Amino acid sequence: MKHFFLFFLLTISILPQTKVEDIKTFTLKNGMKIIVLEDHSIPNANMYLFWKVGSRNEYPGITGISHFFEHMMFNGAKKYGPKQFDITMEASGGSNNASTSENLTVYTDWFPSSSLEVIFDLEADRIASLSFDDKMIESERGVILSERSTGLENYPLWELWEQVQAASFYAHPYHWPVIGYESDIKNWTKKDLETYFHTYYSPNNCVVVIAGDVMLDSVKSLSEKYFEPIATGPPPRELHTVEPEQKGEKIVNINRDVPAPYVMLAYHVPQTNFADYYALSLLESILSSGNTSRLYKNLVDDRQLAIEVSTDFSYAFDPFLFIIYGICNKGINPEFLEKAILTELDKIIKDGIKPEELQKVKNQKLMDFYHTMETINGKARNIGNYEMFFGNYKKMFSAPQDFAKVTAEDIQRVAKKYFTADNRTVGFLQSSESEKEEIK
Amino acid sequence: MKNKSTQTKKNCMNEWLNDCMKNLIHSSIHTIILISVFTSFSFAQFKLPEYEKTILENGITLYLMEQHEVPLIYVSAVFPAGAIWDETQSGLAAFTADALLFGSKNYTKQQIDETFDFLGASISSYAEKERAVIKMSCKKSDLDALLPIFIDVITRPVFPKEEIEKRKQRWLAELEQDKQSPRRVILSYFNKFLFDQNVYGNPVDGTQSSIKEITSEDVAGFFGMHYLHTFTGIAVVGDFSTDEMKTKMISMLPKVPSLERLNLMKDINKDISRLDGNRVLLVNKDDSRETTFLIGGYGVAWNNKDLIKIEVVNTILGGRFTSWLNDELRINAGLTYGAKSTFNTYRQAGTFYISTFTATENTVEAIDLALKVLDRLHTEGIDAEALLSAKNYIKGQFPPDYETSGNLADLLTTMFFYGLDDSYINDFEKNVGEMTVEEANKIAKRYFPKENLQFVLIGKADEIRDKVKKYGKVIEKNINEIGF
Repeated sequence: MKHFFLFFLLTISILPQTKVEDIKTFTLKNGMKIIVLEDHSIPNANMYLFWKVGSRNEYPGITGISHFFEHMMFNGAKKYGPKQFDITMEASGGSNNASTSENLTVYTDWFPSSSLEVIFDLEADRIASLSFDDKMIESERGVILSERSTGLENYPLWELWEQVQAASFYAHPYHWPVIGYESDIKNWTKKDLETYFHTYYSPNNCVVVIAGDVMLDSVKSLSEKYFEPIATGPPPRELHTVEPEQKGEKIVNINRDVPAPYVMLAYHVPQTNFADYYALSLLESILSSGNTSRLYKNLVDDRQLAIEVSTDFSYAFDPFLFIIYGICNKGINPEFLEKAILTELDKIIKDGIKPEELQKVKNQKLMDFYHTMETINGKARNIGNYEMFFGNYKKMFSAPQDFAKVTAEDIQRVAKKYFTADNRTVGFLQSSESEKEEIK
Repeated sequence: MKNKSTQTKKNCMNEWLNDCMKNLIHSSIHTIILISVFTSFSFAQFKLPEYEKTILENGITLYLMEQHEVPLIYVSAVFPAGAIWDETQSGLAAFTADALLFGSKNYTKQQIDETFDFLGASISSYAEKERAVIKMSCKKSDLDALLPIFIDVITRPVFPKEEIEKRKQRWLAELEQDKQSPRRVILSYFNKFLFDQNVYGNPVDGTQSSIKEITSEDVAGFFGMHYLHTFTGIAVVGDFSTDEMKTKMISMLPKVPSLERLNLMKDINKDISRLDGNRVLLVNKDDSRETTFLIGGYGVAWNNKDLIKIEVVNTILGGRFTSWLNDELRINAGLTYGAKSTFNTYRQAGTFYISTFTATENTVEAIDLALKVLDRLHTEGIDAEALLSAKNYIKGQFPPDYETSGNLADLLTTMFFYGLDDSYINDFEKNVGEMTVEEANKIAKRYFPKENLQFVLIGKADEIRDKVKKYGKVIEKNINEIGF
């Protein structure tokens, strides 16, 4: 296997065409930071707006409002009234979407580069002077209730995830779901929305990334023309709540009529910009990336205990969760699957990992990086994520080296440090009458 | 389901509302569009990059396209091995495609998995209604280690009994799991309801009873019948030199043609029965809080000369965020998170359907509104502003669909399988650009059904049964019953 290591070293030196120095940044007088990557491979471009606001900025009574607000950003402003944002953008050949997480609200526009100025005009209008039409608020409330309902209807895992996350955090706002509680969705007011807008939608709380078939000079002049006149507000109050250390395993049980039980394990881990990120991320790949990953190979393929096992280790501003979940195979009870997962984690804690296993996941990370760099969309999204969560987009380019530095000992150390019983919340979702057959 | 905690504005429905024609959309130059004032936009043109097509002595059609932007190579192979050839063993095609990766003459499953995983490369296989596709991607420097495995897998798979039995057991549990999600299974119900005994009604993943019976011999038999060189298209796209790659592929692929036993469409049931009035299939799911529904009928086949124009009209009806359906059901009424319409296109058949979901108590209101919007297409029609906007949208969103070598490899195998030539892509601009309002309205009347509508509803039957009788003859099923 030694020669494979050589492949890895060689590939670092033939990174894709985009280099760190190709990315240019400037900051407008109102504090809005703009990051630009000229890439003329297709006649299209995108604009990502990363707002530093998510469900972690909410409080009980207005849970889900970050996400509701994201929807309202499409419902009319001063120049472009209700519906006009989407109508104008699509007529200009563009499309858009937006997403809200615990940490961020991200708006994205994808468009032919010839429509760049229209996009600036549309975005500036809604940032500077969003309006709140009563009728639009009520209809959007229905849309969000449908979004929540359809998630719960189609994905039992969603229900389990909400409950496990809620049990893991009792103090920090990661406690409530991004979509919010049904009762809050039904009751938030126009005034709540206006307050939220003025608190968080100030240009100094936003980073804009534009990648594609654009010229830096024109992006600069359009930014000055459209974004710079937008008045800035005081920076929002920093979130100061720290989740106290968990001091014992928590268990969550949910009854739902499902053909096979679900199991979820959640461990508290540090925020993304903490040094252990790279080791934890590689550990995640060792557990669940590909047919030879530990959990898939042993639990799904060889022992047939589960029909699916997966993990989640998401970017976060504050200490968050490393999640492992599985769906039981026929006749397997969830406690048995839980024990089998724990055994796999214990093996890593006790025996560590093999050198070729480490090299495998490093190779996978490098390939992920290439795939990201294949599209202008992948580039823009990742530039923004690195800027937000790692503090600097340049970290995206050093990621292959940062992963390369991680040793097998680092991986064993983080497994030992975070995968402890006291730090764990376990969730089970199963039919209440489900027979728990013992596995021989 | 990765990171479920992110909520999005409008992209939750991709997995079942995907639009198979989306990938055949093109960009154009210099168009004047009307919004509220006249604004001019110029779109740069997308051209199909140069490629070489060769029919090898063994009968395989090989496509080679150089793309040097990133040091990656994609290989995609396509076979006439989809569910329409399942015959009595529903799911056999999909199972066979899956089982290709269980081991081949020269490589065990473990060797295949380990080699691809170690290099960070990927290999995958699946079957659809009409075709099976096997793909791989890797770094350029790793191709020599992986290509021999890929070729062994598509030409000499061995289907070990033990692996087949393991997969069967998990497959059965997955089928049961799928029924938990109306969104995941509603298309299978719709296709079966619409096509009935015709092969286009075959559920791709099979059923509990059919999968149970599949044996290693069945899988090997299906492979022998359908993975035939004459009908195989392989596309290699990425960072290589065409001459070198051609030599490499020829040296690795079988030298002689496989024994041809398949007369492609001759042996399948092509008789599609005529629809006679509106019908409703009501699938009861006791724990539903919402009704998931499709309304539609027959669509068009790939060889339809109006395909691109149909797509333009469908963009207006239900193919984008500001489409009439989404505007009425979501934006104006707040009844749903999303509503759209789709044409699924096959070689000799096709489907059209409106799809959405709503809270149980709003079922009738949402269906009535969807029907009203469909009717508007026939009565009110399309005006110049709507048409211009749709044309611009389609053209503007086209280039990113072919941005990566992987996208291009998929395009080439699709062109091979459906017999499309370059003009299909290259005349796109002309077809979209020249489309008139009169033509758009003719297309709407001709291809978007007005009568004989087929409704499929998954939800709480007791609460909606009486109310949905007004749409047509109701046939009931329970979601727990085997099959569709």
